[in-house]
Amino acid sequence: MADKSNDPVAIWQNMIGEMEKGFNSFANKAMESPEFSRVVNQVGGVSAGAQKQLGELMEKYLLTMNLPSRAQMVSMAERLQSIEAQLNEIKALLHQVHHNSGAPDGGYPAAPRPPRTRRPPSSGGEQK
Amino acid sequence: MNAPAGLDLASIPERIQTEVQRAIQRSIKGVEYIASSGPSLGSTPKDILNVRGTMNLYHYRPIADEIYRVPILLVMATTNRGYILDMVPGQSFIEFLLKRGYDVYMLDWTAPKPEEKRLQMEDYVLDFIPDCVRRVQRDSGETDVTVIGYCFGGVLALLYGSIFADGPMKNLICFTTPVDFREMKLFQNFSDRRYFDVDRLVDSVGNVPPEMILSSFEMLRPASRAASQVQLWENIWNDEYVKSYRMFDRWATDTLPLAGEYFRAITKDLMWDNRLYNDTMSVGGRPADIAKIKVPFLHAVAEHDHIVPYDAAKPLIQKIGSADKEEVILKGGHVSLVAGANAIKRLWPKLDSWLCERST
Repeated sequence: MADKSNDPVAIWQNMIGEMEKGFNSFANKAMESPEFSRVVNQVGGVSAGAQKQLGELMEKYLLTMNLPSRAQMVSMAERLQSIEAQLNEIKALLHQVHHNSGAPDGGYPAAPRPPRTRRPPSSGGEQK
Repeated sequence: MNAPAGLDLASIPERIQTEVQRAIQRSIKGVEYIASSGPSLGSTPKDILNVRGTMNLYHYRPIADEIYRVPILLVMATTNRGYILDMVPGQSFIEFLLKRGYDVYMLDWTAPKPEEKRLQMEDYVLDFIPDCVRRVQRDSGETDVTVIGYCFGGVLALLYGSIFADGPMKNLICFTTPVDFREMKLFQNFSDRRYFDVDRLVDSVGNVPPEMILSSFEMLRPASRAASQVQLWENIWNDEYVKSYRMFDRWATDTLPLAGEYFRAITKDLMWDNRLYNDTMSVGGRPADIAKIKVPFLHAVAEHDHIVPYDAAKPLIQKIGSADKEEVILKGGHVSLVAGANAIKRLWPKLDSWLCERST
């Protein structure tokens, strides 16, 4: 196999790595300047305000069109996630019930917790 | 004509064949990549003990036959999701802790809703963390709790520990936790008080959008996203590489918004006035001096951390009041310190050997 210095693929990968480092380093130097901070914050301040106004405008527009807004979709997604989490809980409980199917008539006991007696390996405890 | 030194002519056909096979695989796997979803993350079995707005407390089901007496409460950074500590089986810090016999709880965050924009530092430090600690105590039946904070979760844990210095925290572990915010030079410049009007931003947007948080992280290494995509294309034939890329990429882009008032306090108290470092920090009128923390303390920092540079994290070990304290500097970056192959080899075994002695 050719050594790395003559392997075109290795040369290409090395070049990408070096370019990444070089550009990051150059950009970081540029970003340390107060001018950069001033420009970014001017642009950012304006765009954050504009984005907020645009968002509110869009929300009103979507409401008029009888369509859900992004915030409503995100909220719905979160509710779905919460329902999924609860379903997982139910699945886990069913799983537990299935495991304890020989449980007494009084109901199904919660899964027993292991004892809190573990000792570190150096003091004679065993690493399991 | 002679071959250049080091070039083995006999290997060229073999190399060409490999590259052609990889090119074919790239085309096939590239289509698969677009058509499929990534691996399922954060799937270690857990119970949700409490959900209150942005705050979520989980208890992971123990898998060892015998566990250490002292439970662990992990406090996640408020900017990111907790599944970085529970990626996939075999690469999950939570799973590692469970296998080593710890009882693990996690305080994780979801996106604060618009009405939660008024959440302040007080809510996080004087309400959410103490509430979770109480619930861990009740659930485990133990008074003592070990707290582990990752990145800004570490800052919250430090503030909590310094205000509730009399307990019940038994041990404190911080991963890549900044205390000298002057040394976070690029973040300092992004939030330069001469040009960054935090009041105007918070008053106009409410919660700080996740896109803004993500861009500020990505601006620290502006070329890295493009370079990582080139690397992904080169390695798309390699299933393990793609799996790992998808896990970390999904996590890195799954940034959370920050509650407006909380962000305002971080900017003013920490970024501008550097109060944690200057010993002038207070939360809800209660002084938070990290010298008051006396419990056993471990700080793990990464050698090549571009988000929390070592200089920003370094003073913590001197400033903390604990007599039993240790700092470990490990190879890797901000994320690879806690997750991935690097963490499996370095941080996790170190943490286990330190903590097991202090968990009985």
